[in-house]
Amino acid sequence: MKRKFDWDSVVRSKIFWAVVAEVVILLVSEILKPDFFRIEYKPETGMLYGVLIDILNRSAEITIIAMGMTLVIALGGTDLSVGALVAVSGAMALKFLRWDVTQYPTPGDYTIMPFYLVILAPLAVCTLMGAFNGLLIAKLGMQPIIATLILMVAGRGIAQITTNGKQFTTMYTPFQVIGQGHLLALPMPIIITAVVVLCVALFTRKTSFGMFVESVGVNPSASRVSGLQSDKIILIAFMITGFLSGISGLIYSSRISSCDSNNAGINNEMNAILAVVIGGTSMSGGKFSLAGTVIGSLIIQTIVTLVYFFGVVSEAIMAFEAMIIAVVIVLQSEPVRKAFASRRRRGAAATGGAVRA
Amino acid sequence: MRFVLNADVKRQSLGVRIFNPKYIMVYATLGVFFVIYLFGAIMYGDRGFTSLRTILLMFSDNAYVGVSAVGMTMVLITGGIDLSVAAVASLTGMFIAYGTTKLGIDPLWCMLFSLAVGTGLGLVMGAAIHYLNVPPFITTLTGMFLARGVCSLISRESISIDNPTIDALAGWKWILTYYKDGQWVKIKPMAYINLSVIVFIAMILIGMYVLQRTRFGRNVYAIGGSEQSAKLMGLPVGRTKIAVYAINGFCSALAGIVYVLYVKSGWNLALSGGELDVISSAVIGGVMLTGGVGYMLGTMFGVMLKATIPSLITFEGSLSSWWGKIATGALLLLFIVIQRAVVTYTDRKKAA
Amino acid sequence: MRDVVLDMKGISIQFPGVKALDNVDFSLKRGEVHALLGENGAGKSTLIKCLTGVHHMDSGTITLDGEEIKPSSPQAAIGMGISTVFQEVNLCPNLTVAENIFIGRQPMKHRQINWKAINQRSAELMEHMGTSIDVTKPLSYYSIAIQQMVSIARAVDIQAKVLILDEPTSSLDEHEVRRLFKVVRDLKARGLGIIFITHFLDQVFEISDQITVLRNGKLVGKYDAAQITKLELVTYMIGKDMNQIFNLKRAEQKPGAPVKLEAEHIGIPGKVEDISLAVKQGELMGFAGLLGSGRTETAEMLFGVTRPLHGTIKMDGKALSLKTPLNAINQKMAFCPEDRKRDGVIGDLSVRENICLAVQAKRGFLKPMPPREQQELADKYIRLLSIATPDAEKKVGELSGGNQQKVIVARWMATNPDVLILDEPTRGIDVGAKAEIQRLMLEMCENGMAVIFISSELDEIIRCSNRIIVMRDGAKAAELDGENCRQSDILAIIANESSEVSA
Repeated sequence: MKRKFDWDSVVRSKIFWAVVAEVVILLVSEILKPDFFRIEYKPETGMLYGVLIDILNRSAEITIIAMGMTLVIALGGTDLSVGALVAVSGAMALKFLRWDVTQYPTPGDYTIMPFYLVILAPLAVCTLMGAFNGLLIAKLGMQPIIATLILMVAGRGIAQITTNGKQFTTMYTPFQVIGQGHLLALPMPIIITAVVVLCVALFTRKTSFGMFVESVGVNPSASRVSGLQSDKIILIAFMITGFLSGISGLIYSSRISSCDSNNAGINNEMNAILAVVIGGTSMSGGKFSLAGTVIGSLIIQTIVTLVYFFGVVSEAIMAFEAMIIAVVIVLQSEPVRKAFASRRRRGAAATGGAVRA
Repeated sequence: MRFVLNADVKRQSLGVRIFNPKYIMVYATLGVFFVIYLFGAIMYGDRGFTSLRTILLMFSDNAYVGVSAVGMTMVLITGGIDLSVAAVASLTGMFIAYGTTKLGIDPLWCMLFSLAVGTGLGLVMGAAIHYLNVPPFITTLTGMFLARGVCSLISRESISIDNPTIDALAGWKWILTYYKDGQWVKIKPMAYINLSVIVFIAMILIGMYVLQRTRFGRNVYAIGGSEQSAKLMGLPVGRTKIAVYAINGFCSALAGIVYVLYVKSGWNLALSGGELDVISSAVIGGVMLTGGVGYMLGTMFGVMLKATIPSLITFEGSLSSWWGKIATGALLLLFIVIQRAVVTYTDRKKAA
Repeated sequence: MRDVVLDMKGISIQFPGVKALDNVDFSLKRGEVHALLGENGAGKSTLIKCLTGVHHMDSGTITLDGEEIKPSSPQAAIGMGISTVFQEVNLCPNLTVAENIFIGRQPMKHRQINWKAINQRSAELMEHMGTSIDVTKPLSYYSIAIQQMVSIARAVDIQAKVLILDEPTSSLDEHEVRRLFKVVRDLKARGLGIIFITHFLDQVFEISDQITVLRNGKLVGKYDAAQITKLELVTYMIGKDMNQIFNLKRAEQKPGAPVKLEAEHIGIPGKVEDISLAVKQGELMGFAGLLGSGRTETAEMLFGVTRPLHGTIKMDGKALSLKTPLNAINQKMAFCPEDRKRDGVIGDLSVRENICLAVQAKRGFLKPMPPREQQELADKYIRLLSIATPDAEKKVGELSGGNQQKVIVARWMATNPDVLILDEPTRGIDVGAKAEIQRLMLEMCENGMAVIFISSELDEIIRCSNRIIVMRDGAKAAELDGENCRQSDILAIIANESSEVSA
């Protein structure tokens, strides 16, 4: 059964408005400052440069976390611990990047631990913390906000204790490549983000995991009676989120070549949640959109970049961000979407034909 | 002819009335509080942990959390949430700091202005939540960003306050004395009640009164129990919801004022993460995030319970404050497990 | 005081794409019980929503006690004296009984709420209704039946002139229904006008004076309950000959059919005592009994939703260990639950996704069904069950109750089970859909499936079952042969040794 192209539901969908918002913001920027869209290639470094590249680059951490957050929100919950996990990940990685001080008195391109451990250990720990969250929620029946609040509070403490309160630095090149290197002329974080998004998309849509998440999010008890193992699904979703927070933490600490347990991941949970919601996934659970989340994250980053670009005082960024997000949210709200949709329908009826009964 | 269904009639003994499952959460909070307090008393009693001074200082140091928690309790009971409270408190501090030091405005006017702004923001957020159906989490998150943003706009650096009115208000103490040998003698170590404590206690009492003895307060519970039913029963759901957020805005600003008296400065990063402190205090106090359940007195004990941990750590002296964070996390975990156990137990009893 | 308390004339309302009400009249006298009947989608709830201020009608007038009114909201309607008691009892579960009765209008003393007065007056009100309960307990402590009484008490105390009972008996058992009807007769005597909406035709005849029938948004007619037969009524409601609809025959029992599912002495103390049963291939076993007699609990044990504390369950003679529903599904069992809203319908997902869900759950998430296979499966069952939906992508939450039920049944049929358990599959859906589902069940039996059919409607049970198990107070009271069984037989067994209720 083929369906005619349903303009009504497109206009009524949240992701449509998210895309509109992003496009509008970009166009406005281009008009006001014509160099906005310019991308240039510098053969010395073999990289592309430009504001758009910048936006894609800096949004990496949030986008990656938001992929996992999308699943968690689709299940009807939230994960507030992601920021703390970013800090833990960075702290662990830097701790493993120690070197033998007797041999080399200053930081440089050497390390004791094999490099794969430097990467794997933080990821494993973060995944385990995600599992902790998942178990509290699935087995003990705790509310997600509260369950993840525990790690949000305790996690940063754990990160600090890992490095004994000190800020470690490193000069180890393979590690620095993660946040500062490039591949195929694009900054590494963009490549990593693309890979992550692709993997999550394939996993959720090429297997039935996505549908199961949506099902459990809409109606957990019906899902259980239908044979779904909601415990397993919840656990996996939170473990994925933990793992992705770990990746994000590696990127962040690699960018600054050190670990900053106080500031790493600050506000990441809020930004990730915002990205998911702007992208059209409802906080009460159910249908989700990974593409929407990516756009949501880009919108947030575009606003921030824009504000810098226009020389607006950096202090005002948060206020600006808030205003624009407020506008997007209002546009996405039900009454407003319905108003637009019904205007279209009345318009269509006037021209002699209902778009949809 | 009368139907008297034996299954439905229950004789109400005193025991049943006291052990009403509604109050169990508050008892649990009290219980854990006393256990931890006892632990502190045993370990550090000789260092002054159990002195009246310490207790009153705990009230005073955490008054700002308590004042904010009063408004937050109401919001949570309606089934909503407000993430902007700490940002508004911080903004209030900035208004007062900037207004008095840089603009030379009388601090009392600054305080009034802050209260108005806090209440106004609450009104706007409440309206967005009710009329536009935007989830409270998102709406108040945006409000938080806005408040922090404006705060940063006013000043990037911290501003100290050096103002006689503020000093007077902050320094006002009522030193407690007792009658001994025909004279009033000061308690040793010196125990005093300051303005913050009075505001804290007053707000708790007012909150208790509103929730238990006014129609508005009962409507708050009704909305938390089932908003749809409340609407169909003809209750003023919209007005109540919006009012609750406005009241919480007021409480946030008031908390900011209390905090300013405490630290005598304004800083845009003040109280970072404070909103979750307030929310977790309320949850520890027995307020359920799903709405419909919660008592003001429970919240007060929740605040005190959460405050005992940093206090214990200070007394211990040697532990870094990172352990404090971990301990708070563990306490929260313990507490929620108790909550779950109580809920499951009462559910099972009901079904039987 | 006028005789006619409510007069609705020429009510019409249009929604996008459909005229929900077309020039409908409805009038209600003081002290009259007036039933409002019609299939799902006929317009009953829309008419009531116009009366209670939820919808604003396009044309028509509503006159209450001689004065024209235009209720703009539920709050306004209540203020005018129009109260509604819903099936899902719209009260606040976290508040006490007394508070639910008085919320929004609590008596005050010295600017404070007078709790003593509230508790006292509520206790009196409940006693008047013949239900003496502790009004200081939270509402959630009590059964739905009691909660409905509280709802009625509130309406009566607010001086309602018109009381609307919207599907009040769907969740009540026999003696709770008796009690409700006693209260309704009391209210009648007091002069209230009562509008009664229900799917239970027997109850309509028992309690109503007048009956108004709607069909497809139009008024079919207003009838005197004493002068119309059930057959005539159903014909007016669905416009088809009922006999044709219910021309169903029991499935033929093949001799020597093997026993498929067997339960030996399973039970959960407090819910279901020791129960044993055996269902054969191709057999339809009916479960009769009051609400709370343990039928659903037994089914849940058989399907792995709950674990029996003792006893064994066997499939084809082999003992099973059922820890979760997935275990049961893997044994080729299927279970269509009683509360389709809570345990069945996944509203935001499409018809296709809902139908394929159990099949997909069995395969696990790593082996997804290819889109074409999903589409074929969905289309097959949409056709087979005549599910009214424009296409398979429509959200299930947007379908009518009857069609939602069909989607859930389709979900389970799609797993090709050997044993299918249906718990109240025909509850709350219209007569036409009911008949279709029963026809389907019998067809499945003919094809060799073993079916367990739980229902509160005895005529359905008797019509379809080969064997009938009657449950009472959590235990099996009797096992009867479907062919040679009459309603009175079953009722007698159920009524035997009932609880200490004075009827």
